Amino acid sequence: MLTRIENWIEQRIGWRAAWEAIFLRKIPKVNWLYTLGSASLFVAINQIVTGILLTLYYVPTPDHAYDTVQFITYELPAGWFIRGLHHYGASAMVILAVLHMLRVIAYGAYKYPREVTWTSGVLLLLVVMGFGFTGYLLPWDQRAFWATIVGTRIAGTPPVVGDFILRVIRGGPELSEVTLARFYGVHVWVLPAVLLLLVGVHMVLVIRNGISAPPERGE
Amino acid sequence: MAEDRSVSRRSFLTVATVAIGGVITAIMGIPAVAYIIGPALKKQSEQEWIPVGRASKVELGVPALFKVKIQRKAGWILNEQELSFYVLTEDGRDFIAMSNICTHLGCRARWVANEGIFFCPCHNGVFAKDGTVLGGPPPRPLDRVEVKVEDDQLFILGG
Amino acid sequence: MNEQEKKDYLEEYKKKKEKGLPFFPDILFKDAVVSLIIFLALIALAYFVGVPLEERANPADSSYTPRPEWYFLFLFQLLKYFPGNLEVIGVVVVPTLGVLLLFALPFLDASRFRHFARRPWVSGVTALTMVGIVVLTVLALYETPPPAATAAGDPTAALYAANCAGCHGPSIQVPEGTNLHEVIAQGGHTGMPAWGADLTSDQIDALAGFILSPSGSRFFAETCGDCHAAEDLVASEPAELKNALVQGTAYGAHAGLDIPQWAGILSLEEQTALLNFLVAPDGQRLFATNCASCHGASVAVSGAEEELRATILQGGLHLDMPAWGNRLTEEEIRSLAAYVIDPESGADGKPLYQEKCTACHPGRVPSADTLTAAVEIITTGGSHETMPVWGELLTPEQMDALVTYTWDAARGTGSGLGQDIFSQNCSSCHGPFGEGGPNPTRDGDIIAPISTAEYLKTRDDITLRAIIAQGQPNFGMSPFGLAYGGPLDDTAIDALVAFLRAWENNPPVDLPPDVPADTLSLTGGEVFATVCSQCHGVNADGGVGSSLRSTAFRAANTPESIFVTINAGHEDTAMIAWGGILTAQQIQDIVDFLLSLPVSEDGQSGAPSFRVAVLPILQAKCEICHSASDPGGGWVASDYDSVMTTGDNAPAVIPGDAAASLLAQKIQNLQTFGDKMPPRQDLTPEAIQIILDWIAAGALDN
Repeated sequence: MLTRIENWIEQRIGWRAAWEAIFLRKIPKVNWLYTLGSASLFVAINQIVTGILLTLYYVPTPDHAYDTVQFITYELPAGWFIRGLHHYGASAMVILAVLHMLRVIAYGAYKYPREVTWTSGVLLLLVVMGFGFTGYLLPWDQRAFWATIVGTRIAGTPPVVGDFILRVIRGGPELSEVTLARFYGVHVWVLPAVLLLLVGVHMVLVIRNGISAPPERGE
Repeated sequence: MAEDRSVSRRSFLTVATVAIGGVITAIMGIPAVAYIIGPALKKQSEQEWIPVGRASKVELGVPALFKVKIQRKAGWILNEQELSFYVLTEDGRDFIAMSNICTHLGCRARWVANEGIFFCPCHNGVFAKDGTVLGGPPPRPLDRVEVKVEDDQLFILGG
Repeated sequence: MNEQEKKDYLEEYKKKKEKGLPFFPDILFKDAVVSLIIFLALIALAYFVGVPLEERANPADSSYTPRPEWYFLFLFQLLKYFPGNLEVIGVVVVPTLGVLLLFALPFLDASRFRHFARRPWVSGVTALTMVGIVVLTVLALYETPPPAATAAGDPTAALYAANCAGCHGPSIQVPEGTNLHEVIAQGGHTGMPAWGADLTSDQIDALAGFILSPSGSRFFAETCGDCHAAEDLVASEPAELKNALVQGTAYGAHAGLDIPQWAGILSLEEQTALLNFLVAPDGQRLFATNCASCHGASVAVSGAEEELRATILQGGLHLDMPAWGNRLTEEEIRSLAAYVIDPESGADGKPLYQEKCTACHPGRVPSADTLTAAVEIITTGGSHETMPVWGELLTPEQMDALVTYTWDAARGTGSGLGQDIFSQNCSSCHGPFGEGGPNPTRDGDIIAPISTAEYLKTRDDITLRAIIAQGQPNFGMSPFGLAYGGPLDDTAIDALVAFLRAWENNPPVDLPPDVPADTLSLTGGEVFATVCSQCHGVNADGGVGSSLRSTAFRAANTPESIFVTINAGHEDTAMIAWGGILTAQQIQDIVDFLLSLPVSEDGQSGAPSFRVAVLPILQAKCEICHSASDPGGGWVASDYDSVMTTGDNAPAVIPGDAAASLLAQKIQNLQTFGDKMPPRQDLTPEAIQIILDWIAAGALDN
């Protein structure tokens, strides 16, 4: 019976080929350092799931942002858990992504034929940093507010265009409700879309080109 | 033999991997469900007895206006509501309380002492002392509020 | 990497792959294990460390030291090494180069070697960069303290940040001996506002302490702040503060408390800073709290400044009263002592006392308990009065300030904006010390002193402001407020009031100059004609003030209440408390005079004027919550039209029908819904009556 259902689906979707390509592909002998990429992916999924859960209650306006974060953290069942996972997940994400990159550099894995995989990886690192920067403001507490004041001011230092950049980032000369709204929009819509796209490209390329083998001495 | 070992190892790894996935999903999923349905499970703020003042303030046969503020918080916004109602006792033992909201369109009816009626200024609704309609458009008597007295303290059921 | 090398690599890789394992489940199992470990670590962090949530963002709090998320710290720290124009290198060039280098890496390092040992450049640069990032992050953590440590718990610093930092930056250099309390209260010369109207005296003291001893403020926040608010302790007695600090739990009020021995924890410098913060080295306050109880408003100093300093330093030892035993006969000392003990019975000693003692004991007889004691004191002389040895109690900074102030005060110098304004605008009539004098605008009239404690105690700031702003045309004083055509804006008037207020505790004149008694010996009618008629009309039927003849006035007032109103003034109007100027008999005469007047026929003419009588009440009592920008209940109390037309339950006023008017119901607590108004403090019965009369008279825009 099960086989019949499997076959029925197989004829229509062709999932076995995908399954074989993804899960049954052969991998060279690798060490534990090769789990860093998957770990990054796992944390990214964790961020997506907890992030979606947080948006159920979070309101990105200055008069409610702080209250809702307080509500999530102290009043909702497991709210501390969801927010804690998201908060520390962000740090873990940065650490894992950097370690993953160091592994790639150490093994020269960015070389032929994986240059594009590497490029998408660097973009992913930038996206992760963007997540960190925009997400930091959202709780709207003192630390969030003042760190973002400084962060955006740093972006405003380049000559000529600096002031313009600052205004674009803040949505005006001051850090305000406009800033909060756009940081939220970028954190919740723009960056996740870019992240998913890049992760997709990264994965397809990893599967297509295979995982690089740890080079032997002299290679 | 070697083949067997390989197969058993492989099936062990499969089971273990699926198990770990299941554990993570469960650890993540159960709190997530609690988190989502949390506000729904929050006890419906039940009606409770709210102290409103001293019963001895109520003169026999004359409705006395009481007001009480109640606070409600669904999530993170504190809403304050004021309940106001007239309390009437004819003998000092049995009390009735009625909302001062006119049953017609929700204006506030007020007690007109020298005529002994409740009068709603919006559309000239007139109620008797016990809240029954005497004239005007109101469709039904003033709404009653449950009331009790303990140790001279007047409580109403609300919230 | 040439084509051949690429081909070789692909073949090599294919072989390695053949020898490898399938992704599922072998590799995926490892991934799952690592993921689970990371997941559990995250949960542990969330559970045991928790996610911080600080105070709600406060854009006004510029004292907060921000720190970015830890993984940006290295960039944050990097910027410190690119000051000024070089900043752009740290902000733009270095990060951009870093990212570009990452993107270009596969193309820069295109050799066929993959093992890190065969690629020394890439391995080396990567390692160095990582070390650099770690070092920078650690440095940043070390150099930028966590925000909580600097921002939390120093309310005085917050007060400073909110009020002073905008113009003065993080700290102020104050010239030695500046009377800081006065400068803050009265404003400075270059556009500094007078804070006396916005801050309490204790807050100003705390600010002065913070400005002069910022580290003391921090020590206070760290050591005492858990139990004490700075405002409660500033300007306490220095002796008490020092005892409390040094004695620890041995100090009475600290007995039995679980507090550390602060004197052992704080170094001497830190203790000094702490004391300087609590008792700011601000001469005027030091003098007021420490010296005024014995020395009054100021001390006459005849010697040099150094002598004054020595005197204060040494305290009780300065009273070098000679040992009269060597100079007078026993007889003389006995009669002197008898006079000192009881001037009545020992009147014989009076000439001797005046000859020998009044130079040091002017106008009073020092008291001793018994004749024997008095004889003993006079005979031995020496330091029998115990002035504290201030040199042991005060910090050097406090000492300097006290000496400077006492020295200046002995010469009557003042400082600050208010002083300047006063000398430019007021002193020509009121005298340089507000002592009054002949009225230049009215022959034979004497301006009473305005710098006496009595004058100032009986007038609150609002009254003083009103007098300055609106003038007292009937006394020949023109209005000084900008709004009334005068030269002074609100800030200047605030400064002036603060300056006058400083006289209350420290009056430059103690007694009013002699006012010719006959100017006040008038009948009730005459007093009314000269004083009251200016506002209430010659016939008492109203003018600026309300009619005193109307039926409404008579109905609302008893003779006693009229007396009280004249005596104490009218809180909500410009009417001042005449009790300070008129005698009780005169007030009673006025009351009798008023009651003897015929009740006005025309009720309307006696009705209060909206602009003169009603609007000031509404503006003073209602507009705070019912302003055009923030109308509570939709009702705006700022002008006639809005009073009549706005409101969620408009109209609030029904002309001619006070009982039906919502405004009237609310102020009398007769409303059918909502709260009475004003919510806390009731209007005075007079104010309510004015509003009721105005409504009853048709609520005219008059």
